[in-house]
Amino acid sequence: MIKKLLLAACIAMPATIFAQGFQVNLQGQKQIGMAGAGAGTAMDGATLFFNPGAMVMLKENQINLGVSPLLFKSAFLKAGSNQVEHNKNEVAPPFEAYAVFGPKSGKIKFGIGAYTPFGGLVNWGNQWSGKYSLISLNLKAIYIQPTISVKLTDNIGLGAGFVYNHGSVNLQRAIPITKPDGSDSKATLDGSGEGYGWNAGIYFKTLSGVTIGIVHRSKVDTKLNNGDATFDVPTALQAGFPTKFNSSLPLPATTSLGFGFYPSQKTTIAFDANWVHWSVYKNLEFDYDNNARVADTKSPRNYSDGASLKLGINQQQTDKLALRAGVGYAFTPVKDGYVTPEAPDANRLILSAGLGYNFTSKFNLDLSFLYEGIESRKQTNLESNLSGTFKTNVYIPGIGLSYKF
Amino acid sequence: MKKYNSLKLLLAGLILITAACDTKIDAPTLSKGSADFTKYIAVGNSLTSGYADGGLYLDGQLNSFPSIIAKQMKLVGGGAFNQSLFDDAHSNGSGYLSLGGFNPNGTPILNQVTDKLAYRDAMGHFIKFTGDIENLGIPGMRLDLGAAAPTFSALNPYFERLLPDAQVGNTTYLNFIAGRSHTFFSFWLGNNDVLGWATNGGVVNNDPTKALTSKANFTNLYSAFIGTLTAQGQKGVVATIPDVTAIPYFNTVTVSAINAGLKANPQTANYSLVINALNPATGLHSPRLATSADLIILTFNTASIGVNGYGLSPLNPIKDEQVLDKDEVAIAKDYVNSYNTSIKTIAAAKGLAVFDAYAFLNQFKGAGISVDGVAASSSYISGNVFSLDGVHLTPFGYAIAANGFINSINSTYGSTIPTVNTADYRFVKFP
Repeated sequence: MIKKLLLAACIAMPATIFAQGFQVNLQGQKQIGMAGAGAGTAMDGATLFFNPGAMVMLKENQINLGVSPLLFKSAFLKAGSNQVEHNKNEVAPPFEAYAVFGPKSGKIKFGIGAYTPFGGLVNWGNQWSGKYSLISLNLKAIYIQPTISVKLTDNIGLGAGFVYNHGSVNLQRAIPITKPDGSDSKATLDGSGEGYGWNAGIYFKTLSGVTIGIVHRSKVDTKLNNGDATFDVPTALQAGFPTKFNSSLPLPATTSLGFGFYPSQKTTIAFDANWVHWSVYKNLEFDYDNNARVADTKSPRNYSDGASLKLGINQQQTDKLALRAGVGYAFTPVKDGYVTPEAPDANRLILSAGLGYNFTSKFNLDLSFLYEGIESRKQTNLESNLSGTFKTNVYIPGIGLSYKF
Repeated sequence: MKKYNSLKLLLAGLILITAACDTKIDAPTLSKGSADFTKYIAVGNSLTSGYADGGLYLDGQLNSFPSIIAKQMKLVGGGAFNQSLFDDAHSNGSGYLSLGGFNPNGTPILNQVTDKLAYRDAMGHFIKFTGDIENLGIPGMRLDLGAAAPTFSALNPYFERLLPDAQVGNTTYLNFIAGRSHTFFSFWLGNNDVLGWATNGGVVNNDPTKALTSKANFTNLYSAFIGTLTAQGQKGVVATIPDVTAIPYFNTVTVSAINAGLKANPQTANYSLVINALNPATGLHSPRLATSADLIILTFNTASIGVNGYGLSPLNPIKDEQVLDKDEVAIAKDYVNSYNTSIKTIAAAKGLAVFDAYAFLNQFKGAGISVDGVAASSSYISGNVFSLDGVHLTPFGYAIAANGFINSINSTYGSTIPTVNTADYRFVKFP
């Protein structure tokens, strides 16, 4: 008759998955070198992503491949402590692959691309002060996008693509239940799923020579069904813990307005304004197959929309060599009180540099380096009460190869 | 493609360089402020000693709140902090409760640990401890018995353990803590002056460890202890006395759950629990139906209800020791409030830091709070704060208390002792 022991209270399951931090703006090596601006220009096959309407303006058929090993280096100083904690060095591999081809007439182009617009890899280890919020998260979203782009006139291009997303998530978190050896219990949620969306854009060449792009990439609701929920808990409690979970990943829409300026034959200046519709992200829900010990969770997230401004320049120094640089600023969608170790997000400054080298008229190499300085943010999370200062730097070198035919 | 190779090298180099440079956050400068932590002593009862799960044992001692504070004080010039640790061969000390599992109805199975005990005889005396100690916490210590009862040094086995034979029965706790040339102290004593009475359902029965220390006596004795500890102008931190209703010992077995159980059984469906309750007007006890305002103690055996009618009629109420009835709760609360007023007044007069343990433990009542993602409440076992005896804390509970002490010290003395990472400390161990 003693009150039944309800353990559910100590196992409210996971917190945030996404934030600005999980939007990965690494979809083309040339554009990365220009801080990620590309909605208003037609640089290469990556226009398939940046603006399907501009794809038809590409002169040649081409294949573009690239990879951007990403180092997300975060630090946390708990309020009152003198111990700065760091996440582990692990390299996430965002990549992009595009093929664009069409008839010689140039009135229409077809393309297919694969890229990683969302993802996150952060591992704080199982000993840090926020381990009951998160040990590690490995999130991947791979979009595959077949695309068609047509010229309405010589100065107007329209394009649209269908997006298929294969998403996967592995989330690990310590549970505050002590095992016989004194160590923590642990939950691992591992699952994958699919989602669908679209990407469409329009591209104008104005009489003044300025090019303008307007692009909308839709929200992609990715359902994770029947994922594996592994609860490493004391044997006395094991019965009744779930083994499967369902969830959904609401990857938000982005609307972009981009401009291209061409002050000389050799110079391209790109400017993008992006609006990321994060406010669709109201709650994070996990539905378990067994609720005897763990209740389904619905954690409020209440994101606002995010935005970013990006300015980049491409200077064709010689026939073979192009130099690039860029600067940008992104406004976080994460409100005060909702900052978590998965996404220790804040407004961020973006700086980039890059170069391109034409070995032949067909074969081209691009290198890029992107730095994102995420501002220091002192926060107390409303759900966990984890209180302290997060500061994150992101370093992303990248390499890409292009072949034109 | 030589150039291509060197570019690959460049890329690899960039990754290595960025991997090596960690993101920096400036940690605060550490300072002892106006206090001197060179020699810190901890004075108090079981809570100071690291007592947990109904016993004093090595793991509890190693997680005592004074040892946690002392570890952090070392970062601002604190010195050695020794405790009367049980050695590895006798690491289970007095023995303690361990969780063996759960009955089908969800109630916990508690086992008494009986190996590696530290007793030297069958009378419950411990193997003596010799050596320097700065943690002077003695389980069961009270202000009244500690100040004026030399015999208590023989009767309390935890105190007896620390004394040379010649002093046993001849010294008081107040003498024991004096003359230790300390520079800083923590003082958390007085809990048992009300808790001893309350945990015995408000029954004294001529047992001085179950007596209720009068308010006036408490004030005088508290002043005497603080006077001794501040004799050379030392600084320190004192803690208030928690509300008795804040602990699982009194909020786990509830009258409503017992009555629901009676109702569910066809044979007892027409009965409700009857207690022997205090009549505040007369000071006498008389039977009446229990209400949710009456607090049943954690160790009450609910299976005894109804055996030969036990607890089901005014002729056979449950024993007075097993319930702190509504009016006894009011007395306990009144005494605690009075004690705490004295503590705060005396501390203020001496300029001492105060850790408000009363407010600290009250925040865990009901649903409690989240501490860095850990649900912390006064719920028994699942609340993570209290150990299996329902009175003393888990290592995690002691760690958050230690941080409370540290914050009080810092705000009073302008020091910046860093708080400890509470996620490093465990909860109740499950099998």
